[in-house]
Formats: sequence, C-alpha cells, structure tokens
Amino acid sequence: MMGKKGMIAFVLLGFAILISLPQTVLAQLKPGDPIVVGVPTALGSIEGRDGWMAIQMAVEEINAKGGVQVGATKHQLKAFSIDTREHEPGIPVQDALTATEKLILERKPHVIALGNFRSEVLLASMDLMSKYKLPYICSIAMAPQFQKKVVDEYDKYKYCFRNALNAPYLVMYLQGVMEFIKKQFGFSKAYIIVQDTLWAQGTGKGLEKWYKENGWEVAGFDAYALGASDFSPSLIKVRAQKAQVIVPIFDMPQSGILLKQARAMQIPALLAGFISPVAPENAWRAFEGEVDGMVNLIFEIGPVPVKAVPKSVAFNENFGKKWGKEAKMNLSGHGPGPSYDSIYLFANAIERAKTVEPDAVVKALEQTDLQGVIGRIRFGKDHQVIYGFDPKETALACAFQWRKPADRVVVFPEVVAESKIQLPPYMK
Amino acid sequence: MIPSIIIYGLVNSVSLALIAIGFSLTFGISGVANFAYGGFYLLSGFLVWMLLNYLRFPLLLAIVTTIGVVGLLGFVTYWVILLRVRGIPLSEVIATFALGVGILELFRWLGFVTYEFTLPYFKKGMVMIAGVPVDYQRLFMIGIGLALVLFLYFFTHYTRVGLAFRGIAQNERTAISLGIKSDWTAALSLAFGSAMASVAAIVILPLGIISINQGYEVLLVAVAVGIVGGLESVPGILVASLILGYAQVLTGIYLKPEWMMVVYLAAIVIVLAIKPSGLFGKFKELEERV
Repeated sequence: MMGKKGMIAFVLLGFAILISLPQTVLAQLKPGDPIVVGVPTALGSIEGRDGWMAIQMAVEEINAKGGVQVGATKHQLKAFSIDTREHEPGIPVQDALTATEKLILERKPHVIALGNFRSEVLLASMDLMSKYKLPYICSIAMAPQFQKKVVDEYDKYKYCFRNALNAPYLVMYLQGVMEFIKKQFGFSKAYIIVQDTLWAQGTGKGLEKWYKENGWEVAGFDAYALGASDFSPSLIKVRAQKAQVIVPIFDMPQSGILLKQARAMQIPALLAGFISPVAPENAWRAFEGEVDGMVNLIFEIGPVPVKAVPKSVAFNENFGKKWGKEAKMNLSGHGPGPSYDSIYLFANAIERAKTVEPDAVVKALEQTDLQGVIGRIRFGKDHQVIYGFDPKETALACAFQWRKPADRVVVFPEVVAESKIQLPPYMK
Repeated sequence: MIPSIIIYGLVNSVSLALIAIGFSLTFGISGVANFAYGGFYLLSGFLVWMLLNYLRFPLLLAIVTTIGVVGLLGFVTYWVILLRVRGIPLSEVIATFALGVGILELFRWLGFVTYEFTLPYFKKGMVMIAGVPVDYQRLFMIGIGLALVLFLYFFTHYTRVGLAFRGIAQNERTAISLGIKSDWTAALSLAFGSAMASVAAIVILPLGIISINQGYEVLLVAVAVGIVGGLESVPGILVASLILGYAQVLTGIYLKPEWMMVVYLAAIVIVLAIKPSGLFGKFKELEERV
C-alpha cells in the first residue's frame, strides 16, 4: 500500500507531468506542421519595420528550398509579428510585454526572433521567454545587462540570445573611430549627446570613461528625453567650448533634427557617432544634403554592403529585389542584418538538434558557427554574438562617412575601409 | 555664449507663442479649450507634406490650401461635435481631446512614423547676428510671429468679426442682445484658432521632422503657456512664452537638457497654486481676490 508521503509525491509528480505536458506536446512536430517564429517588436520603428521585412525574406528563402529538416521530415517556417509600440515615448514596459505574451499565447511560436526595441523591455521580457521556454534571438535592444542576467542565472535565462551589436561593442567601435580621428586630425575635445535610454546612456558613459583615460577632453555630456526636438542648448555649449567632435547616440526618429540644427547653427565640429535616421541610403535626400561629412556607424553590416562579406552584398541586393528600391534606400543601420541571420541561425540549430525542443535548440544555438550577413557568427558564454574588426573571425559593424554626391563611404574598420575620414566642407 | 542664449531663447519663445496663440484665441472667445489643437497642428504638417510630395503643389499653394482646410476643419468641428456639448467643459475637453488623439493615431496607423517626413525651408541660408549664425527659417519664424500678433490686434479692434469676437469674450449675453450670433462667433473662433495652429506648424516644422509625438507635445506647450500667461490673454501668452522660452534654454544650458520638459510642468503647478488665472488672466480673478 502507498503511504501518505508516497501519495503526496505521486500527486506532485502528476502535477509536474501535467504542467510540462503542453510544452512537450508543442515541442513535437507532426509532419506538415510549420515551425512558428514569433516576432514581437516595435513595427513602427525603422529598425523593427526593416527587421520584420528581413525575417520574412529569410523565411521565404528557406521555405523555397523546402523548409527546415527536422529529423526525417522537412517543415516550413511560418512567421507572425505583433506591434509592441515600445519605441514610442510614453508606452509602458508592461504594454510591450502584454503584446509579446499575446503573440505567444495566440500563435504558440517555437522560437522568438527580432524581439525588443527598448532595453528596458528586453530585460523584462527575458522572464517571459523563461516562463514559456522559448529560444529567443534579440536583434535590436542593446543593454549589456542582458548578458549579465544570462551569466548570473543561466538555467533561467539560457533561452535568450542576442546577435545584434550591444552597447559595449558599440563603445569599442566608437573608440576605434575616435582613435582614427585623433591620429588623422589631432582632435582631442569631444561633446557627447545621447538620448535618455538605457543603451544610449550606457554607451555614452562607456565612451566618456574611455575618452578620459585616453587623453581626450569631454566638453560636455547631455541626455535628451525620447521625443525631444530642440537640441540648441547643447549646440550652443559645443560652440562655446570649441568641441571638435560631437558624438550623438540616438535611435529615435526625431534625432535627425540634431543634425539639421547643427548645420543651421553652423557648428564647426565633426559629427561622429550614431543617428539612426542618418544611416539609410536615402538620408542624403531626406536631409537635403545636410548629412554631408557626418561619420555614422552601421551597427551590423548588411544595410551597407561590405565586399569582404559576400552575404552582406547579396542581402542588400536581394532586399531591394524583394521589397523594392525605395525600401532598400530606407534600410535601417541597426537590426535588418541580424534579424535576417537569426532565422538561418534557428533553422541551422533546429536541424542540428533534430527537434524543436527548446533545451536542445538552446544547446545547438550555443554551438553556432556560421557565416552570415553580419560576418562570422558565434555566441559567447553570455549568449552575445562576438563582434570584432575582422569579418572572417567575428561579426562586424562599420562606420561610413557621407560624401557628395550622396555616397556612404566605409571608413572603419581598416580591414574593410574604402577611404580615410575627410573633414567636411564646413570644417576646412 | 550670452548672444547665443539671447537669440536662441528668443527663437524658442516665439515658437512657443506661435504654438499657443491659436489655442488661447479660441478659449478666450468661445470658452472652449480645443484639445484637438495638437492634432490640427500635426495634420497641417502632414497635409503640406502630402500636397508637396503626392500632388506636387508649389510650396505657397500647399501652405495656403492647408491653412484653409485646417481652418475649415475647425469650423466644422464646432458645428458637428462641440455644438452638442457646448457649456459642459468636461465634455468639451473629452470631445476635442478624442478628436485630436484620433487624428494623431490615424497618422501613426497610416505609417507616418519615420524621419522621412520633413517640410522644406522657406529659404535656405543664414545671417550672422552678434557673431551668432541664425538661419533664415528662424528669422521667418520671428517675423511671422510678430506679424500674427499685429494681425490679431488689428483684426479684433477694427473688423466687424473681430469686434464680435471681443464682444462675446467680454460678455456673451450682452453680445447676443446686441445681435451677435454666439454659435457663429464660436465656430469662427475655432476656425481661426485651428488656422493659427496650421501657421505655427508650417513655420516651425521645417526646422525638424514631422513626428506624431509632437502633436501631444504641442498641446502640452499650448496649455502650459496659456496657464502661465492667462488662457484668454494675448499679452499674457507673449509674456509667458518669453518666460518659458528663456527658462527652457537656460535649463538646457546650465542644468540638464532632459529637464527642459519639466519647465512646463513646474510652471503649470506653480502658477495654478499661486495665481490660477495666470499672469494676465481674469477668468478666476474674483475667486482669487476672495
């Protein structure tokens, strides 16, 4: 006869089986079942919009080749998106999470791609991924706290990966650009202007620390609320303190205003940093040539094709063929390349794991070593893709300079640079 | 740095005055707080952009058409929406706010959310004033702001419609007894206020991009300037614009730029606590004295 303790243990075991059942059932694909990719992101942002388009492109390409081989059968991919609107000022984190959970409950995805735009939402959404055991590759939000969470509580957050650039890597590239500028022009006085978000503040502070340790003077460090549209207070200070380089770090659409105001106020300083609206090919037209001379980062190559990485060139061309010339001209400098790659990473991991069971997919993702649009893709132990300066070894970001007659000339890193940085006409 | 602060503080003040004056005009005459104001402002920006880019209108024609259309929309808004709730302030606010949000979110839904939506400068180029470069667009802004104030003064003192505006604003019942039609005057005040939102948008937006969130910000600016200066007082609006405009620039330069928005909110709280009618307002003067 089963004792009282035995009975309790039996009931608990039954509960445990019951709780894990939906996940187990979900993880088993029947022939003909699609592999569902959930894409919760800020579709109204250019990064979210283009990332979603890149994902659809990758899904179509894989499906055209028959789908993903899972064990003995091939399965088509099916992607569903939901707009979290998290790039809009005033949208609370909870609203974005609710949208994400709605997608998970309604579409029952096997994996999550692209994901969160704002770092605050990314960090909070990691618990959702853990709750539903969903392998997740984030391709936009950049806060380094993401990696700390994965390392500190691996069992809980092992489902979360990131193949986009993160804030420390962005600082690394900015440092490289600044070293270049110092060597070339002797500049050593910078003014940092960022948007008041976790990733941008983190990047700005990281760069400020580096400046101070490397013989630069930081003339000022200002942060602007999301949605801000008047940057004249900072520009007045830039002029008064004779800063030689303005380092903007922004991804909000309004940040293009900073550039227009700097030109209108004839600020004699080189703009070198990241303004999201300045990255696409059509920025010259949109800003009526006022982008001339600005050095802007592309967080992950692809939107700017780099000859040393043939897949980045193919992606750029194919994006134009699929979505039209105008869409290619609008292609954002952050998000599309890694979003596209993330689908191939999932497909590759599922094929190697021979199942969509989340823990097996996570293990396979950890062993990823692929050449993608963004260069060579390998995850570190903290589940962040490793970035560096050689695309044969790591993933790659780059800096380009806007030049007449509307060209984006890659100027950094040296291994892929097409030209040196030139002083813009208003600084000569 | 001082000349820069003086010049860009003035530019900022004039832009606040331009934004707030239409809101104030409508409230001063009809007593209606037009919370669709931000929606009309943004609609004007997008309308000019669409006329220029889709229909290839010349700039001047696009501007005139937009001001006319938005003014007409304000007029229609009174007859279709506000007439039914006139005299019930809370309902007026809810109705107009809903209309404004509807306009803004419609554009968001239509995909007008990226950086591509910009209006052209009236004239490119700049001049140096006291060693500070100032572009022509900002000079246009100052000029048009001053012209608008002068126009309003002459219009309300020397035209029949303007005098009717003032009559209704001073005492609605007496004005009605003298044959002034209250509803027509209120509808016209809404049309004028909306057209002024349009003028503000057309002058200010070329300096940046047209972004949905500016619609909400513009409403906050109009309300803040109105509360500080006195919602129905044009001189109050001008003085409040100067105070807030310079306070913002000084906050951005000497404190932190992220606190610039706090200036509006702090001003609203302080003025409501000390003088609820605003610096030049008279609406609650009796209660304040009591």
